[in-house]
Amino acid sequence: MQEYIRQFADQAIALLGSLPTVEIAKAMNILQAAFERDGRIYVIGNGGSLALATHWVADFNKTVFSHNLNEEQRRFQAIRLPTTEEELTAWANDIGYDMVFAGPLQNYIQETDVLIAISSSGNSENIIRAVNLARSHQVPVIGLSGFDGGRLNPLCDAKILVATPMAEYELVEGIHAVILHLFTKYFKDCFDSVARLQKS
Amino acid sequence: MIISRAPMRISFVGGGTDLPDFYKRYPGRVISTCIDKFIFIAINHAPFTNHVAARYSVSEEVEHPSELKHSRIREALLDVGIHNNIEIASFAPIPARTGLGSSSSFSVALLRGLCAYTGRRLDKRAVAEAACRLEIDLVKEPIGKQDQYAAAFGGFNVLQFNADGSVDVEPLLLDYKKRLQMEAHLILFFLGTTRDASSVLAEQKANTERNFEVLKRMSDSVPAFKDALLRADFKRAGEMLLEGWTMKKQLVSSISNPGIDRMYEVAMGHGAWGGKILGAGGGGCLMMLAPLERRAGVVEALKKAAMAEGLEGAGEIPVSFVQTGGEVLFHSNGF
Repeated sequence: MQEYIRQFADQAIALLGSLPTVEIAKAMNILQAAFERDGRIYVIGNGGSLALATHWVADFNKTVFSHNLNEEQRRFQAIRLPTTEEELTAWANDIGYDMVFAGPLQNYIQETDVLIAISSSGNSENIIRAVNLARSHQVPVIGLSGFDGGRLNPLCDAKILVATPMAEYELVEGIHAVILHLFTKYFKDCFDSVARLQKS
Repeated sequence: MIISRAPMRISFVGGGTDLPDFYKRYPGRVISTCIDKFIFIAINHAPFTNHVAARYSVSEEVEHPSELKHSRIREALLDVGIHNNIEIASFAPIPARTGLGSSSSFSVALLRGLCAYTGRRLDKRAVAEAACRLEIDLVKEPIGKQDQYAAAFGGFNVLQFNADGSVDVEPLLLDYKKRLQMEAHLILFFLGTTRDASSVLAEQKANTERNFEVLKRMSDSVPAFKDALLRADFKRAGEMLLEGWTMKKQLVSSISNPGIDRMYEVAMGHGAWGGKILGAGGGGCLMMLAPLERRAGVVEALKKAAMAEGLEGAGEIPVSFVQTGGEVLFHSNGF
């Protein structure tokens, strides 16, 4: 049993050791730019990736400014799409599963916004449709993919690929969670520093 | 109504290597960052007026865009093919000709807005190229390409100008700690005098042959400057600015004058590591890097020296670096 655990941990460590740091840095610059122009950040994913999206939105919208909630007039506006199960099932049932993200995204999208697409395979049709919609609006796309990156990775402005053998969902989703937490921590530390500078 | 904007920029090393006389022979390189000072453009569709209006430091109302005095708005409207029922206004936080690349910020914001007006969507590179075409080919300014690319892309970038006219944009991935440190070391001091970039650049263009070797050294120093910033070695970066300033003064006579030289010497005498005059030179802004403990002293000394020189309106401009580039902030989409 312990050997099995060790093997999984070693695989995770190897992936963390080879994180695509340049692409992650590009993603943080894209998020910084969205903040500067008061744009919104939409996050989409299927299954476990949707859970990651929801978790990240909860953290990012509050935790980034948790030490200076009263001082900051402007905060990040991260939104998981679709925003309700009713909207998700309405699009899936009435139009088709391929439109559950692109449909709601069309309602919101402005040129100042950013899209984060999370897909381990990178091949989910509904994700690709939303990414293409964002691209047609010149909205930058941050992609978190796994395996070989699929169709998603080459379409993105920040190509965050956690490269693994096919179907290693547990590892990919685990590392995706770490990267999303890194986004939150980076901006929390950044705005804490800015707030300290303004007080000094 | 459409509201667009584009940031101004601080160019550190490599200015002048973005002119074709140079980059057709040797790769030109510039390192620059966008700052939190923006040119805003408002574009209004006015179907019940029968005119074209351009409102900036003056207010023009004409029957056809070809009658406009504002060369960038005139050429852009003629090029896009908009001949009536439009009002364009611009807003800037600081005066023109500060050496912060505001003319090209204006062009990028204008083209972003006009694209939204005509229902087209261009990516950053296409906007940068359109701004180059507007300023260099249509308005016939003797300028390079660095400012259009800086304003269109936003952020902190190394730009490389290739012989075939293409431009490579490599973002400098500085984390927030280094960015905040660098902002703390940086002094941007408006000298109050204004200048016309084209006259200095025209001389620089004419002199490119004679100064090819100097420009080559400046282009080659860009990677080392980038490495100094990534190491957060702002002392080395300041020293390189001093070397670049000394080299650039050999390029053209009008890049500096005794007054500017004295201001530069005042900053150095109070402990700055080095700096440069922003833009094509001959006035504008003095940008210096200084140790944190000497910063306030340098600024105070510059203020006193500016008063002694009779530089009206001179003073420090606080800046922070921004990632955002040319963009449409608001589009009422027909309502």
